[in-house]
Amino acid sequence: MSNGLLARATGRGRQAAEDRPVVYPTMWTNWRVALAFLAPAFLALALIGIFPTVFALVNSFRRYNLVRPLEGTPFVWIQNYVTVLNDSSFWGALGRTFLFLVTVLPVQLALGLVIALLLHRPGLSLFRTLTRLSLVIPLATAPAVVGLIGRLLFNRDFGVVNAFLTSTGIGAVEWLGDTTNAFISVALMDIWQWTPFCALVLLAGLTMVPNEVEEAARLETRSRWQIVRYVQLPFLLPSITVILILRTADILKMFDTVFTMTRGGPGAATELISVYIQRVGFRVFDQGVASAQAILLLILTIVLARLYIRFVYREV
Amino acid sequence: MRGKFLGALAAAGLAAGLTMLSTAAMAWTVKEAAEPYKGTSIKAIFLDRPGYAAAAKLIPQFEKETGIKVTWETLPYENSRERQVLNFTGGGEIDVVLVDVVWIGEFAGNGWLTPMETFIGDKKLADPNLDLKDFFPILLDSFGTWDKKVYGLPFDNYSGLLYYNKCMLKDAGFDRPPETWDDLMKTYGPKLTAGGKYAFALQSRRGETQSADSFMRFLWPFGGSLLDAKFKSNLMSKESQTGLQFRQDLMKYMPQGIVDYDHAEAVNALAQGNVAMITEWSAFYSTLTDPAKSKITDCLGVAAEPKGPAGLKPALGGFSLAVSSQSSKSKQAAAWLLIQWLTSKEEAKPYVEAGGVSGRMSVYQDADIRKRFPFVEPMEVSWQNGVPDFRPRFAEWPAISEIIAEWGTKMMLGNVSVKEGAQTIGARVEEILGQAGYYSGSKPLLK
Repeated sequence: MSNGLLARATGRGRQAAEDRPVVYPTMWTNWRVALAFLAPAFLALALIGIFPTVFALVNSFRRYNLVRPLEGTPFVWIQNYVTVLNDSSFWGALGRTFLFLVTVLPVQLALGLVIALLLHRPGLSLFRTLTRLSLVIPLATAPAVVGLIGRLLFNRDFGVVNAFLTSTGIGAVEWLGDTTNAFISVALMDIWQWTPFCALVLLAGLTMVPNEVEEAARLETRSRWQIVRYVQLPFLLPSITVILILRTADILKMFDTVFTMTRGGPGAATELISVYIQRVGFRVFDQGVASAQAILLLILTIVLARLYIRFVYREV
Repeated sequence: MRGKFLGALAAAGLAAGLTMLSTAAMAWTVKEAAEPYKGTSIKAIFLDRPGYAAAAKLIPQFEKETGIKVTWETLPYENSRERQVLNFTGGGEIDVVLVDVVWIGEFAGNGWLTPMETFIGDKKLADPNLDLKDFFPILLDSFGTWDKKVYGLPFDNYSGLLYYNKCMLKDAGFDRPPETWDDLMKTYGPKLTAGGKYAFALQSRRGETQSADSFMRFLWPFGGSLLDAKFKSNLMSKESQTGLQFRQDLMKYMPQGIVDYDHAEAVNALAQGNVAMITEWSAFYSTLTDPAKSKITDCLGVAAEPKGPAGLKPALGGFSLAVSSQSSKSKQAAAWLLIQWLTSKEEAKPYVEAGGVSGRMSVYQDADIRKRFPFVEPMEVSWQNGVPDFRPRFAEWPAISEIIAEWGTKMMLGNVSVKEGAQTIGARVEEILGQAGYYSGSKPLLK
């Protein structure tokens, strides 16, 4: 038996330990432990988040074209930003992106809310579980694949949508070759993919409503709408804020679906801002201007997120 | 006596020299040339098109003979330039570079390709039977040469051709395809457009398809062009405007939504019997004759593109294979051997038989090939009449192509008039070329 154990066993040692001054963790040990815990996350973030953003910021002040390596990358201050702000195609794409945002987001929120409320009702538990599971399928589909599915669905001659419309007597519609309809087709695919996300987030929000409050409300009124409006909706505001922020950021950087489905066409009908930035960055290879565009987009996203938090979010 | 002796000696020497030369010529085989590079692995960029499937069938034989291992990455056309440019700027692993006719100025001008003279001058590597003169001059000049230096050998070669459905034409009372664009519009168009069928489909989807296959196709035959001799826009000239307006008017004989048609859709529309005629690349012949993909294999006809007021000026396109300047010396040599072998006179026939379109003149002298591949004759005529700079080949083309693609489709959709569209394209093109330094004289007017 070692001395320590003996001491502990006899109780004499315990006394001795209590007499010794208590050693609290010093600043040094604290700092080291904290660093050890934070370092991996910080490194990962620095590598995949901070470094590329700073790199893009630096590039946005340079003339930097990958296919003109002989010209070097001279510092041009804000010239790229001036170019972007004077570019009518950039503003066109930005306007289109906002139109897309205000088209799809209310639909996704409304449909998502309806689905969430239906799933929140008691009863039919197996059916509800199956529905909840199947809601994940669109979310799990890669956006590029969603675009390809859209291309097949909306094909004029062989598409399922036109087959259905023809069989109901409405007749075939030109989807992807018409500017308005192409925009609608892409919007429909986005709604298909992201409504389940809204539904699941709102469903989680609905479970936050305390049962007794909901029951009390049911005794007060028979109107479903009043319960939704005055009891459930206030609890859903944090979820709605999350949806607004995430979906806005998603739509501002939406690329894959559009690229595979319409490539931004016909004309510029579906050229959302990210498709345009990709075109400048990887077709023209003007990294300077494309970086300036991306930085402006980042600022816009942050501003919008702050606005959502300020005007929509409420502590429950 | 002494003179006779010397004469005999000289004759003997000459004979010996000739024998040695001919033995050297006889002796060159790709197997021996590749001996030092056995086990070397090289990487190429391929597209998902018939010419590359044909090459994939031949490559195992090359690997067997040389011991060089060839791998390739198959990409959609739209991503292939991006992939390669990022490879060059990032110092990548591609050894056999795929060069579209419109990339040669950019790739060669930036020093990303090794000039072919490096290998042609090396007796160990150059096949004595290489015979560059056997390539159609227009192909070697446009896909392979930049600023008078050869960088690539023509590999996947295209001419625009008129593919037509003989049966549909016959039913409408025509026993041959239209000779001119005017015929197509005035005579064939009205008769062949009825009951959900259309006379013509012009692939016009936004991208290189719009700029190269749709927009440029209606400039040259009408006497127009994108740029004049000083590299200023020529789109507002009477000829260019006539051509672009003609395209606009011809749309009434094309399926709805033609601005969303890419190559696949246009070829498919003909293959399914929905349209009577398309102007498409020679490379799609094998698709249209494949019973699994085409319903009109018995009705397929092929001819040169219709003529315009300026004569036959068909679309010209295609790819050469070149050696990356960033690869190691041994990989460069191995890549050269592959390119030389794939585009050689000897492999031309197997390549054509496997579904490729060779750039070698000699292979099309073969009566058997001419008989089996009816596209050969109109293609030869087209290559003899083609415009080498059908699309400018300078480094600025991709940026210009983006502008044409956007405004060309807007024009077809009626979002802007032909005149407005042409003015916008012209102004933006001049802006790009001005920035590049063509107008200040700091860059030579090469296209």
